Amino acid sequence: MKNTLVLYFQREWQLMFRNTSSMIQPLVFFIIIALLFPFSLPAEGALLQKIGGGVIWVSAVLATMLSLESMFHSDYQDGTLEQMLIHPRSLPLAMLGKALAHWTSTGLVLTAFSPILCITFNIPNEQIWVLFSGLMLGTPSLSLIGAIGAALTVTLRRGGVLIAIVILPLYIPILIFGAGMLSQSAQGLEVASQLYALAAILMLSLTLTPFAIAGALRVTIN
Amino acid sequence: MNPLKSIWNFLSSTYHRLGSPREFYTISQYTTPVFGFLFLALSLFGTYFGLFVAPADYQQGDSFRILFVHVPVAWMSLFVYVVMATAGAIGLIWRMKMAFVVTICSAPIGAAFTALALLTGSIWGKPIWGTYWVWDARLTSELILLFLYFGIMAVYYAFEERKTAEKATALLAVVGVVIVPIIHYSVEWWSSLHQGPTVFVEGGPKMPPEMLLPLAFMAVGFMFFYGYALFLSMQAKVLDNERKSRWVKEIVSDKTR
Repeated sequence: MKNTLVLYFQREWQLMFRNTSSMIQPLVFFIIIALLFPFSLPAEGALLQKIGGGVIWVSAVLATMLSLESMFHSDYQDGTLEQMLIHPRSLPLAMLGKALAHWTSTGLVLTAFSPILCITFNIPNEQIWVLFSGLMLGTPSLSLIGAIGAALTVTLRRGGVLIAIVILPLYIPILIFGAGMLSQSAQGLEVASQLYALAAILMLSLTLTPFAIAGALRVTIN
Repeated sequence: MNPLKSIWNFLSSTYHRLGSPREFYTISQYTTPVFGFLFLALSLFGTYFGLFVAPADYQQGDSFRILFVHVPVAWMSLFVYVVMATAGAIGLIWRMKMAFVVTICSAPIGAAFTALALLTGSIWGKPIWGTYWVWDARLTSELILLFLYFGIMAVYYAFEERKTAEKATALLAVVGVVIVPIIHYSVEWWSSLHQGPTVFVEGGPKMPPEMLLPLAFMAVGFMFFYGYALFLSMQAKVLDNERKSRWVKEIVSDKTR
C-alpha cells in the first residue's frame, strides 16, 4: 500500500493536470496584482525598485489566499472529503499531501516566476536571489496555514471573505520577515536571521498545521 | 480532616459545578457583583493614587500617567487571549460546554482591551514620540491581535449550527496562540520605538514603588473587570444557549412576573 502522503500528493497532481486552469489562475492573478502598482504609483524607477519586493510579497499572499477557497471545495461537493474523514488512513498526513500539492500549484509557480517580475521592477540581481529564497521558504507556510482557514470555512456558502479575515492576521509574521529581508539587504545588511525565521516558521507549519487542518475538517464536517 | 485536602475538595467540586450551565448561573449570581465591586474599589484607588500621589516622571512629566491605563489594558489584551485559547483547548479536548462559552464571551472583551491599548498608546505616543502611530513591531503585532479577535468573532457568527460554531471558534483561538509570544517578545527581538519591559525584569522592576503600587492596583482591578464583564456576558449566553431547558424558563418567568 502506498504512503498516504505520496498518494494524496499524486491524486492532487492528477486532478490539477486534468484542469490546468486551476494552476494558471493564481499565477495570472499574481502578475496582475503586482502590475497594478506601477500603474497606480508615479512611474519613478527608484520608487518601484524600493517597493518592488514588498509588492511581490503582497501579491503572492493574495494569490495564495484566493486559491485557498477551492482547496477543499470540489472534494466537499462530491463527497470525497467525507470519505477521507471516515477512511482509516491518517488524515493529517493526507492533509499534508494536499497542502503540499496546493503549494506546488501556487507558491512554487509564483516563486519561479518572481524573478521576471523583479526585472520589471528594476530590482538588482543580488536582491532577486534574496527575494527568491525568501519566497521559496515562505510560500509553503502560506499554503499550510491557509489550509486551516480553508478547512474551517469549507461548509460555508460564502467562505471567501471569512478565509481572508481569519488567515491574513496569521500571514503577517511571514510577510514581515519575507519583506523585511529585502529592505535589510538593500541596506547591505545580512539577511540570514530572517531566512532562519522563515525556515523555523516553515518547520512549525509542516509539523503542526496538518493536525490543525484535520481537526478543522472534523469540526466543520459532521 | 486535613485542611489542605478540604480546600482542594472545595476547589475541585466548584470547578466541576462550574462545568454545568445551571450551576454556573447560580454561582455567578453571587460572584459577579463581588467582581464588579472589587474592580471599582481597586481602580478608583489606583486612579487616585496614580493621578495625585505618584510623582511626575522626570522625562515625560505628567503625560506618563496614562501608563496606569495603557499598561494594564495591554497586559489584559494578551491575558484574555491566553484565557480564551486555554478555554478553547479545554472545550475541544474534554468537550466541556462552559469552556466554549468562556472562549466566545472573551473574544469581544479581549478585542475591546486591545483596541483600548492601541488607542491609549497612540494618545501617549503623540507627546512623547511626536506621532500617533509608527509601523513598529510592538504596535503592528498588537494590531494583528485585534484582527485575530475580529476573525474569531467572525467565525462564530458565520456558522448556523451552534455546536460547530463553538468548536470552529475554539480551534481558531488555539491556532492563533502563536501570535501571543510574538507580541510579547517583539520589543526584545526587533529594534522598536516602544520601550522595553520595565516591570517584570531581572533584578526587580525599574520603577519607583509610588508608581508601581497604582499600576498593580489598576492591573488587578482590570483583571476583576474582565471577570465581571465575562461573567455578565456568560450569564446572558448561558440563558440563550439553554433557553429550551426548564430551569431557564423558570428563571425567565420569575423575572418577568
